[in-house]
Amino acid sequence: MQRSRLGLLALLAVLLVVPLALDRYLLSVMILILYFAFVGQAWNVMMGFAGQLSLGHALYVGLGAYTSAALFQHFGVNPWLGMVAAVAICVAMASVIGWLAFRFGIGGTYFALLTIAFAEFTRIGFDHFGWVGASGGFFLKVVQQDRVDLLHLRGHPLMFYYLALALAVLGFLASAWLLRGRLGFYFRAIRDNEEAARAAGVDVFRYKIYAVQISAGMTALAGVFFAFYYNNLFPEQIFHISRSIEIILAPIIGGVGTLFGPILGAAVLTTLSEGINALLTMSGYEIPGAKQIFYGVALGLAIMFMPNGIWPAIANRLGFRRQDGDDDDDG
Amino acid sequence: MTTAEARAATRDAAAPMLDVVGVSKSFRGLKAVSTASLSVARGEIVALIGPNGAGKTTLFNLVAGALSPDQGTIRFLGADIAGERPDRVCAAGIGRTFQIVKPFADMTVLENAMVGGFRGTSDRRLARSRAERALRSLDMWLQRERPASALTLPDRKRLEVARALATEPTLLLLDEVMAGLRPTETDQMVAAFRRLNAEHGLTILLIEHVMRAVMALAQRVYVLHHGEIIASGTPQQVTTDPRVLESYLGTGATH
Repeated sequence: MQRSRLGLLALLAVLLVVPLALDRYLLSVMILILYFAFVGQAWNVMMGFAGQLSLGHALYVGLGAYTSAALFQHFGVNPWLGMVAAVAICVAMASVIGWLAFRFGIGGTYFALLTIAFAEFTRIGFDHFGWVGASGGFFLKVVQQDRVDLLHLRGHPLMFYYLALALAVLGFLASAWLLRGRLGFYFRAIRDNEEAARAAGVDVFRYKIYAVQISAGMTALAGVFFAFYYNNLFPEQIFHISRSIEIILAPIIGGVGTLFGPILGAAVLTTLSEGINALLTMSGYEIPGAKQIFYGVALGLAIMFMPNGIWPAIANRLGFRRQDGDDDDDG
Repeated sequence: MTTAEARAATRDAAAPMLDVVGVSKSFRGLKAVSTASLSVARGEIVALIGPNGAGKTTLFNLVAGALSPDQGTIRFLGADIAGERPDRVCAAGIGRTFQIVKPFADMTVLENAMVGGFRGTSDRRLARSRAERALRSLDMWLQRERPASALTLPDRKRLEVARALATEPTLLLLDEVMAGLRPTETDQMVAAFRRLNAEHGLTILLIEHVMRAVMALAQRVYVLHHGEIIASGTPQQVTTDPRVLESYLGTGATH
């Protein structure tokens, strides 16, 4: 689809240039958008493509963050190496959860509950895990921010902006690539009808595990980013179920199972919630929980008026047939 | 011809492609299939008929791996496949359709078929060309970009067949794919199966109530009643068999 490809390149060009003109606050908002676009993309692989609902994705953000941060802080392990370890640990964790659930035929709501349970007991475990500061938090050494040290992921927010952009682009490309190949076809077949997928030759158990592993591995990268960007980690925050919900809002509002949904959803949600925050600050009112109320209202409205998400609604208007991209090598 | 004779007759020829021997399956004490035996030779088109609730679909599910038999053996191309997983049975070369259609609703017609086309390969081009060939042979080419959820029931039935065909099976199991089709559509589908059988040597075992299709397609017919094979033979033999007339076709039956 040429039109959407050109649009994407234009968007990328804008995203490459625009941070140079932004102040620190707006830059942090942009970083948040890209971060949520990427995590949403990762979650979407599992739910949007393969139909397996995870309500505990904060687990992989947290594990990825703690793994890379602890290796860096305690042993001086380079964060890029730590990233490999973080991915490995998250993939292993996902394999355990997936194996437990899928081997015993746990699906749907019960699978979602299992993902919450794992995230919750990991949070409680880290609350008592002294090696990484337990509930008191774990802090990375903060260095001067004007020196850019990409090798050790230390430096100016601008560096983190480009890292977040790289993640978002990577997540998008990885998802697009997945959808084109056998993995994507098998994932979507499983999502639509497991029995029919089996009859068509899909090893459903194996491919569900793959979906969970890929999603967890991608989310681990976001965790590493989180750790080195924020420099402080608290189990109560990073593993909390509200974090898991935050992750899934962007793809749900943007469009589950689509490539653009997570990006669009992240942009709309983050912009609106930051906007509301800014308005509240300006007006001088302090309303605790305003953000949560906003998320609730946004979700409610989206489900009422655009149950498939913003992107499918827009795509229909613009006359894009579909965006899973199966039309470029038409004979 | 009794089932024992039928079995002896096929044994005299080459070893059958599919050989089901003495298979039984009960659900909570209710015998759905009881020591049923049937065989299908390479290149044959065989029909399995019988009244509703006779156990035809159960027998299919036993062959396709969706169910495991309580007893009996199922051999396909010499290998025992009884109790094997459905995806392994598919990998071994048996494609199946479902009586109650199960399309991948959020995927297009072509994508549905491509899922089948990925059997044993991760090559997207190969999967696509297999899928396209399957869609063409069933006259679904023009609908390839439509979402499966937008298809009519007869088209969903054809999509079931296309998806199974795209796996390039050596044996195709068809579960009532002509039910609900108009006579002209039935004839088109019969013609498609005949062509696939003649040109590609596709072996077919079909469950069918539409006698018009059974008479036109099947070289041999098995009749299942209360889970037991009560008759087998050519379509003509079977349709004049008094037991079959009594239990299934009815004494006034014509075709």
